[in-house]
Formats: sequence, C-alpha cells, structure tokens
Amino acid sequence: MHTTGTPGAAPGAAAPTRTSDGLRARGLVHRFGSTTALAGVDLDLAPGRSLAVMGPSGSGKSTLLHCLAGILVPDDGSVTLRGREVARLDERERSLLRRRHYGFVFQFGQLLPELPAVENVALPAMLNGAPRARATEHARQWLVRLGLAGMEERRPGELSGGQAQRVAVARALITGPDVVFADEPTGALDQATGANVMRILTETTRAAGASLVVVTHDKGVADWCEERIEVRDGLVVGHHVRESWDGAAARADLSAGHGGLR
Amino acid sequence: MRAVLALAPRLRTAGGSDTRLTTGLAVLAFAVTTALTLSVVGGLRGFMARAANPTSQYEVDYAEPYVWLAWIAVVLLLVPLVTLGGAAARLGVARRDARLATLRLLGVTPREVVVLTVVETAAQGLAGAVAGMVLYGVLLPVWSLVPFMGSHLTVGEMWVGAPGLLVAAVAVPLLAAVSGAVSLRRVVVSPLGVARRQTPRRLGWVRLLVAVVGVGLFMVVSVAGGGLGAAVIGVLIACLGIAFATLNAVGPWVLGLYARLLLWRARTPARLLAARRLLDDPRAAWRVVGGLGLAGFVAGCLAVLPALTMEAGSSAEDRLMVDDLTTGAMLTLVIAFVLAAVSAGVAQASAVLDRRREYALQHLAGVPAELFHEVRRREVLGPLLLVGVGSAAVAVVMLSPLLGFAGVTNPRGLLLLGGCLVGGVLLVLAAVESTRPLLRQVLASRDVRPD
Repeated sequence: MHTTGTPGAAPGAAAPTRTSDGLRARGLVHRFGSTTALAGVDLDLAPGRSLAVMGPSGSGKSTLLHCLAGILVPDDGSVTLRGREVARLDERERSLLRRRHYGFVFQFGQLLPELPAVENVALPAMLNGAPRARATEHARQWLVRLGLAGMEERRPGELSGGQAQRVAVARALITGPDVVFADEPTGALDQATGANVMRILTETTRAAGASLVVVTHDKGVADWCEERIEVRDGLVVGHHVRESWDGAAARADLSAGHGGLR
Repeated sequence: MRAVLALAPRLRTAGGSDTRLTTGLAVLAFAVTTALTLSVVGGLRGFMARAANPTSQYEVDYAEPYVWLAWIAVVLLLVPLVTLGGAAARLGVARRDARLATLRLLGVTPREVVVLTVVETAAQGLAGAVAGMVLYGVLLPVWSLVPFMGSHLTVGEMWVGAPGLLVAAVAVPLLAAVSGAVSLRRVVVSPLGVARRQTPRRLGWVRLLVAVVGVGLFMVVSVAGGGLGAAVIGVLIACLGIAFATLNAVGPWVLGLYARLLLWRARTPARLLAARRLLDDPRAAWRVVGGLGLAGFVAGCLAVLPALTMEAGSSAEDRLMVDDLTTGAMLTLVIAFVLAAVSAGVAQASAVLDRRREYALQHLAGVPAELFHEVRRREVLGPLLLVGVGSAAVAVVMLSPLLGFAGVTNPRGLLLLGGCLVGGVLLVLAAVESTRPLLRQVLASRDVRPD
C-alpha cells in the first residue's frame, strides 16, 4: 500500500535521495488530427527539482503536461518515472499512476464544492486506501502546515481564491507523490496572492521530495522554479537552469511588500 | 429591452451542445408531464361521461364511486406532475444562470433578465406541450386496452377535446414561465452569488409537527366517518391532498437527518461523497426521489383497497369492482413511477452538466470514473429506499383504522405494493444509469480551462 505523505518535514530540508531518476521524457510526439502539438520533446527532471514550462497559447505546453502526467498517450516517444515506462500504460493503470504517484494543482475548480476543506484533502488518501480517520488527521496536519488552521470545516465556496489553491496544494501532496503537476496554478489569482501560492507550492513540494512541473505563461510564476523551458510549435526552444535557487530573494520581496498569508 | 430580447436566440445557440441537451431534456420533461396530465384528465372525463350516461345496470349502480376514485388518482398524481414540470423549468434556468449573471454584470437590468428567462422557458414549455399532445394521442389507444367496468374506455371517452388541448397549450408554458422566474431570483438578487455556494438553510422541526398533525387529522376523520359515503370520500380526498403537502414539507428535512447519519457512518470515499451531496441539498434530492416517495404513498393507500372491498362479499359485481380498483391502482402507480424515473434522469443529467468541470478535473487527478457512478447510484438509491419504503409504510399506518385485519387475511394488495416498489426502484436506477454515456463524454473532455 502506498503511504500517505506527512507534512512533518521542515521547509527547505534537503530532498531525499532516490535510487533512480525522476521524470524523463524522450522524443515525445503528439498530434491532434493534422496539427502537431509535440514534435519530439526531451526532458529530464530530478526528484525534488522544480520546472516551469512556458510558451504562448497553442505552443504545446499543455499537451506536454498531459503526456507527462499520463492524461494523454503520446503518439511516439517515451515517458519514464523512476525508470518505469508510464506513457503506454492502459487507461486504468494511468488512472492509478495519477492517483498514487502524481499530484495535481489546476487553475480553479478542482475542489469538490460539497466537501469541507479537510475532506477535500483527505479524499485522495482515502482513495489510496487510508482509513477515513487517519486520512482526515493527515489532512488536518497539511492544512495547518499550509497556514489554513481554523479553515478545516469551510467549504470551497467559503474560501478565498488563495486559500482554495492552498487547499489544492495540500490535496496534491497528501499522497506523497513523486511529481506534482500544476497547470496555471495562479491563473485565477491576483499577483500578490499568486506569489504567495507559488512560494507555498515550491517550498512544500521541495520539502516533500517531489518534483514540480508548472505550466504557465507568466514569467513571474516561472521565476519560482529552479529550471525553465520554453516551448514553441511543439519543440523545446530554450532551457534555463538556476545555479542556486534564489526563491529566497522573491520570498523577501513578498514578505516586505505584502506580509502574511492571505 | 428590445435589444436584450433579441439576444435570446443567440444565447441559446451560443451555449452549444450543453444547452441543446438541457433544452431537449426540459422539453422532454414538459412533454411527459403534459401527456400524462392529459391522459389522467381524459380518464377522469371518461368516468364522468359514464356516470352521466350509464349504458349498463352496473354503470347505473357504481359509476359514481368510479368518478370519486378517478379524482383520488388525479390528486395523487398532481404533486409529482407539478414537481416534474417545475424541475423541467429549473433545468432550463440553471444552465443559463452563469451567462445571465454575466449579463447582469454587464449592466442588463433585473427586469430584462427575468423577461429573457420567462420568454425562453415559456417557449420550452410550449414546445413540450405540443410534443406532449402528440404523445397523448399516441398513448390513447394504449390506455384504451385497459378494461374498466367490464368494457374498455374508448379513445373517444378519454379524448379531452379541443378545449382541453387549448388549456394545456396555455397552462404549461404559463406555469413553466412562473416556475422559471421564481427559481431565477438568486441571479437577479446577486449576480456574484451564483457561483458561491453557501451552507443551506436548516429545515425546521416544525415541518415534522405539521406532518404529524396532518396524518393524525386524516386518521381521526376516517375513523369518525365510519363509512365510505361520498361526503366522507370528499373529505378524505381533501385530507389526502393535505397529507401530500405535509409529506412534501417533511421529506427534505428527513433526508437531511438521514444524510447526517450516512455521513457519520461513511468509511469509503463513495459513501462520504454521496452523504455530503445529500446533506448539501436535501431539497434537490427530494425533488428526485419525491416522485417515488409519493408513488410509495400512493401504493400504500391503494394497496389496502382490494382487502377493504372484499369484506363486503364476493358477488360478480364486487369482484369486478375489486379488479377495477386493482387496475386503477396499477395504472396510477405506473404513471407515478414513470414520472419519478423521468425526474431522476433529468436531475442526474443536469447534475452531470453542472458539475462537468469538477468531474473532469477529479478524473484528471486520478479519481476513477467508477467512483462517480457509485456516488450517483448511492445518492439516488439511499433516499429512494428510505423515501419509497418509508412513505408506503406511513400510508399503510395511516389507513390502518380503515383496513383492520383485512391486510393479513387478503395480502394481495400488499404484495402488489411490494412488487411496484421493486419495479419502481429498478426503473429509477435504470434512468440514473442512462446518463452514464453523458458522464463518460464529460470525463473524456480535457478542455477544462475556464475560457
């Protein structure tokens, strides 16, 4: 059985070393009809690293995320997670892969409106077999860790946009995923709230030892990640790697400008 | 105002396949409502005609009670018919909520939004009424296969005539428009409030008190009456109407309590989600199962009739009467079950469309499709069993002063009740399952960005 993630590790703690590679893609090709969305993409992402995928609309960045995340099956090429080929699993296995090894943060609307925050977070753990009481306890710990103490019983409609995204981050991390995929995670937020969510997303994902893939068109959002690729016409046209992670600088900016969590 | 009204057809086409589907479902629901209402009224007219111009000694002696019994059937079916009609109106409005809220934000006045909705919903009601008339015409020969009073009710006897059709053509769109306008209030009051989901208002225990008083009143009157005279039956029918109103008032409250119990006991994700959905909006759940709850109530009431009449002896005329009562009970139940199943199908289809984004995103995050199917089954089946069986039991208890021991010595009616409940549950479940392809289509969609 897959264990649930614990929020105990301190932010900024060194990512645990894993025996094999993280996420790897080779020669990914995907077409929609006569349109080529991906024209042969290679990509490597070590455990605990964060990667921003940037590009204009229609560049193929969302298709890339969907192929990496086992949502789409690429027409050609391979995706491996810790050395295991995952791109060509059948529908049921890919669903299981997404549930057990991946976490997802979408722009908005992924929380179930009738569930209170704590149950929204506990649900993936329950789906992976954790008993309700234990899943709920883990969910509480995650919410407290992400600055949402006292919000456990609120429903998504009673949370602000930033709070809801932090609940979504907790939901993505509770299963202890290998990779977290975030598709425009701050697209529905104002800039300061978005920066806040990105700080929490990158810090907690790193602390949990998970890789992070963020699809965004926003340079400010991409700057929170250690690596950045540019996608144009289905090809990777640029790859930037930070020598040292300077998220701390951005954090300092944020706390000077806007103070605490919102 | 004129410019806004000119927008109406564009709003409809801009909605794409979603809007076409919900419009289709709303029209279907209006059509079923219209066809079955016309059929029920046609049957009532048929019995009235026989009472006015009896053609046999049996009709001279017994036609009058048949009219009263037909009236009971009309009263019993009135509530589910109105409920389905209301659901159809709400369905159309719910899908337009978001775009209407946008129009409000763009500065369209509340009055213009109301007019826009009223016009569209009335148009759907009119389309449904016309389709319903055609369906009524198709059903007439089917109904006329059913034997009553030793002969068949003919198509001519059950024909409501041009005035009846005209009334339907006016009344259905009118009621649809009123119902649509009422359910639109939240958009008009607060354009920003539509997307927000507040904790629903608690349902008071006062409802339970009202229900107990209503049931008690019925029992007192039926005992005090001591016989089955026409005057008493008239009072009984009125009380039956009251009992219905009270059942409708208490239903959502009971479902809310039941949901709390389910929530407390939930151990699996499917049970947890089903309980939360039920707790989130017990009124919506009641609108789905209320049809069968009322059908269970109908079955409870009518199941005792054969036993009651057998006490009077067993002449040929009495046997004919009992057969007819059983036939009438079956017909009423079948109609109520059909209404409940259409309600369930319409409600489930619109729920899938309303939740399409959350369904799709949960599925992308690895939640298996089977979980959604199980949640949908559970959220219908739980209340269905509680309400269907529960309300039938209430009816049997209510009528126990009239029934006495006949229910034990002549169990035929109660067996019929059991059979109809099983059949009804299966029919409603089939209606829920029929929306499976729609959910599959929603889950297959990866286009989940908000634009």
